[in-house]
Amino acid sequence: MSEYFGLLTKRMNQFREEVLTAKPKVCAERAVYTTESYKEHFDKPIVLRRAYMLENILKKMSIFIEEDTLIVGNQATENRSAPIFPEYAMDWVVKELDEFEKRNGDIFYITEDTKQQLRDIAPFWEHNTTKERGLAAIPPASKVFYDLGIIKAEGNITSGDAHIAVDYGKVMKDGLKDYKKRTLAVMDSLDLTDFKNLKKLYFYQSIIIVIDAVTAFAKRYSDLATSMAEKEKNPVRAVELREIASILTKVPYEPADSFYEAIQSMWLVQLVLQIESNGHSLSYGRMDQFLYPYYKKDIDAGVITEESAVELLTNLWIKTMTINKIRSWAHTQFSAGSPLYQNVTIGGQTVDKKNAVNPLSYLILRSVAQTKLPQPNLTVRYHAGLDDRFMKECVEVIKEGFGMPAFNSDEIIIPSFIEKGIKEEDAYNYSAIGCVEVAVPGKWGYRCTGMSFLNFPKSLLITMNDGVDPKSGVKIAEGVGHFKDMENFEDLQKAWDVLIRDFTRHSVIIENACDMVLEADVPDVLCSALSEDCIGRGKTLKEGGAIYDFISGLQVGIANLADSLAAIKKCVYEEKRISRDELWNALINNFEGQDGERIQNMLLAAPKYGNDDDYVDLLVTEAYNSYIDEVVKYPNTRFGRGPVGGTRYAGTSSISANVGQGLGTMATPDGRKAFTPLAEGCSPTHAMDKNGPTSVFKTVSKLPTKDITGGVLLNQKVTPQVLENDDAKMKLIAMLRTFFNKLKGFHVQYNVVSRDTLIDAQNHPEKHRDLIVRVAGYSAFFNVLSKTTQDDIIKRTEHVL
Amino acid sequence: MNQEKALLFNIQKFSIHDGPGIRTTVFFKGCPLRCHWCSNPESQIGKIQVAWNSLKCISCQKCVKGCPEGAISEAKGSIVIDGERCKGWQECLKECPTDSFQIEGEYKTVDKIVSEVLKDIAFYEESGGGVTLTGGEVLQQADVAIEILKELKKHNIHRAVETTGYAAPKVFEKFLEHIDLLLFDLKHYDPVKHKEGTGVDNMIILENMKAAVKKGKKIVARIPVIPNFNDSLQDAEGFSKCLNEIGIKNVDLLPFHQFGQKKYDLLCMEYKMKDVKQLHPEDLMDYQEVFIRNGLNCKF
Repeated sequence: MSEYFGLLTKRMNQFREEVLTAKPKVCAERAVYTTESYKEHFDKPIVLRRAYMLENILKKMSIFIEEDTLIVGNQATENRSAPIFPEYAMDWVVKELDEFEKRNGDIFYITEDTKQQLRDIAPFWEHNTTKERGLAAIPPASKVFYDLGIIKAEGNITSGDAHIAVDYGKVMKDGLKDYKKRTLAVMDSLDLTDFKNLKKLYFYQSIIIVIDAVTAFAKRYSDLATSMAEKEKNPVRAVELREIASILTKVPYEPADSFYEAIQSMWLVQLVLQIESNGHSLSYGRMDQFLYPYYKKDIDAGVITEESAVELLTNLWIKTMTINKIRSWAHTQFSAGSPLYQNVTIGGQTVDKKNAVNPLSYLILRSVAQTKLPQPNLTVRYHAGLDDRFMKECVEVIKEGFGMPAFNSDEIIIPSFIEKGIKEEDAYNYSAIGCVEVAVPGKWGYRCTGMSFLNFPKSLLITMNDGVDPKSGVKIAEGVGHFKDMENFEDLQKAWDVLIRDFTRHSVIIENACDMVLEADVPDVLCSALSEDCIGRGKTLKEGGAIYDFISGLQVGIANLADSLAAIKKCVYEEKRISRDELWNALINNFEGQDGERIQNMLLAAPKYGNDDDYVDLLVTEAYNSYIDEVVKYPNTRFGRGPVGGTRYAGTSSISANVGQGLGTMATPDGRKAFTPLAEGCSPTHAMDKNGPTSVFKTVSKLPTKDITGGVLLNQKVTPQVLENDDAKMKLIAMLRTFFNKLKGFHVQYNVVSRDTLIDAQNHPEKHRDLIVRVAGYSAFFNVLSKTTQDDIIKRTEHVL
Repeated sequence: MNQEKALLFNIQKFSIHDGPGIRTTVFFKGCPLRCHWCSNPESQIGKIQVAWNSLKCISCQKCVKGCPEGAISEAKGSIVIDGERCKGWQECLKECPTDSFQIEGEYKTVDKIVSEVLKDIAFYEESGGGVTLTGGEVLQQADVAIEILKELKKHNIHRAVETTGYAAPKVFEKFLEHIDLLLFDLKHYDPVKHKEGTGVDNMIILENMKAAVKKGKKIVARIPVIPNFNDSLQDAEGFSKCLNEIGIKNVDLLPFHQFGQKKYDLLCMEYKMKDVKQLHPEDLMDYQEVFIRNGLNCKF
């Protein structure tokens, strides 16, 4: 633990230990109460059914208050246990029941009783989940892309959406009662002879149900705290429990008046949103901004001290860490480390363009460094006016070696938001969502990124193979000829343009089919109520309730595409050292046989992305532009229904999809062997960036960043020694400033950890239980990652700073 | 257009130990000194060389037969490359079935070098950095280096040079006009010891140092602290006295390290410092103290 930032208080240290050592289990309660409620209210409009579901769960689920906590609210029967959300998908749950404990990463324990409970409810969900409806809704010509893993959208139909931040500032300031009041007012004025208003009525009725349900849920904790206080022998703890009891009779229904109340109000809502839906990347937004008035008031009044404020914050982070999510094994490979990506954003600018850093920004850094957990995901909004003192404090957190904070830059994000029609005051108020992606809290629909994953290198192989997937032999697109017959490199470029546009259209079709099912089947009542202007419009988020609604998918394998194109151009067409037949055969044979290795070596020696070499960098920019140009043409399902936007842009926040998608991809012309991981995000391929970090920044900055508003993910790893002295630290900061101020970069995060440590952790996981690494846009415990993902991380180039 | 060529063995971006800010370091190949501890043995010979990786070698001897200069010979089932005889024909590369050879050194035009270092200009500007020319010994290719420095001046880039100072005073003084910062290596204050460790004595070096001080150049002396060569406290006194006499105020200490050990094997060169323990700043606190006591600004 940190010398610089100080230690956790004794009880928070205990609480952290308790959560860290808790075995992740599967919890059936939510699934059982959901099924029960769905059956009971099967006749009701779906939005009401969803409201009754949440009400039933919150009324009946087990609740507890941990010995060391000041903040209350639990997601499952035990901390780190994962609830099941049967309405999204139940087939994989039942199929994998006996496998959860045997996984080689993201293991979950399950009792025979729980298995039986889940088996008992399974029949109700047959042909009755978003997954099944989603798969049925995707037209066959597009579904083949889904089935072959070229376009992945499993996460979209097997769990909730999220990738959103509600406006917690408003929740704590006005209380849920204000939302209820507004809802009642509009509900009263509805003219029900207009059939459209009937639908709104159901939505409004639902909002009232869930707000009352959340209030009653808070009351349950209040009652529990009271009864615990009565039995408590320690008088100090008894006082605390009584305070908890009193706070929970007030928030989140009533406005919060203190820092403590504000945090409790926020946490309970953050929790319930993650019981309502299991969509991940549910983010807090700009916490140093909206919490600051409460902090200031209490610190000025002497109600709290810096130390007690930090303790509450650390308490919140440990609570944040208790949330868990179980995914199918297939999906786990895209989201290794069971991350929830609950993001906290600090820094940046105020809406009147001033430096927004305040004393609470520093305390959030300190508290996150003290808890040193993979949750929350901490993002610092960089801008040119961020002073060196704050930057140095950020570097101190980076030195702790758990991949935080990540930096997102105002210098590119705000202008590209304004260009897309976001009001200036809202653009200045953006926050990170999940890891790299960005949106305006409380005003933006789901999934500013996180739609489908499109595998670029695999798309290139299919392009080369005349539209036939070489792995399965299935013809999935009308090709423009086989690579073997392409006389010029330009022929291949043209073929890519045609096919990737076609694939892009299929990704849009798949996404829209999924979104229509989600809209019809699983509206999130509470999340919608807390997002503007759902109440005003009488529409859920998926119906077009948000003020802004832009989405993006994730394009995976950017560096592999770059390196493949460059190697083909260089080795086949310019130097003619490899014939087209030879290359194709080598790919099919995975570079096996004597000639294969020779060819692979030549391909590996070709120019590589990440070295500031225009030869390769400009090839991928051009290839990527075909995708970008195509995807912006296609509105999402909310277009014209209320939100500004209703459209799409590009995104590269591939999380650990590079591993999963690599598993399904044959050898590629960059010299990559079959089934090995692809490059992550916009980072270079492992060990291929040989010119150091400035060159990587230069390369990444050549991508059309202002059009990749879904996020340009760049992960850099540094060894801890490089940050030892002030001089080197300032150089790192100068490098970041250059990347953001001059090169207009979007995002970067640092993984400061030594290679030896990682190898040791792989061999002796028990010795490194709290070792955290960035897998891509987030942090995860190293020892819960699969071996392939671990190897992937170890192989990353270490820049010697 | 400047097509004049320099022989380099590396261009390294994001260098943070060779002058202020973020820098690009250009390594010139060829050096008149033969320091025992040299961590860049590939920098010594002023021509293109081949390095050989014994781990990849299958001892097929094709390279021995293929070398037109007879620079490769067989010894105890292994091979030995005579660096002085090698003319850089690269026949061994073509003959070798397992890619065991690699080339050290490349002739690059001034234009190419300048355009490569200009790629990071944004980083120099933001950090107050620039370009550092080093070696080997850059003064051995002074004319072409000056061409590079002139081009950099046109772009307003801060220019540092790290040198042993071992060059004719005329060459050295001409060179001085084109630089903003001089990182001046000093291996030993004593001429006899200097010759022992590096193969040359330090007379000319100290003369050039004085000349640079006289010209009012910004100078940092850099002392590689080598075990059993110049690492005693008495040596620290000797260095301090010497530098004070010359009038240099800033000193960087470079503790001996072993990063270069593997390179000697690849180049079939003998390494005299094998298994000598590395030094770290914490081993040299007293040593540093001597400099500070003598009024010098001494850092690691």
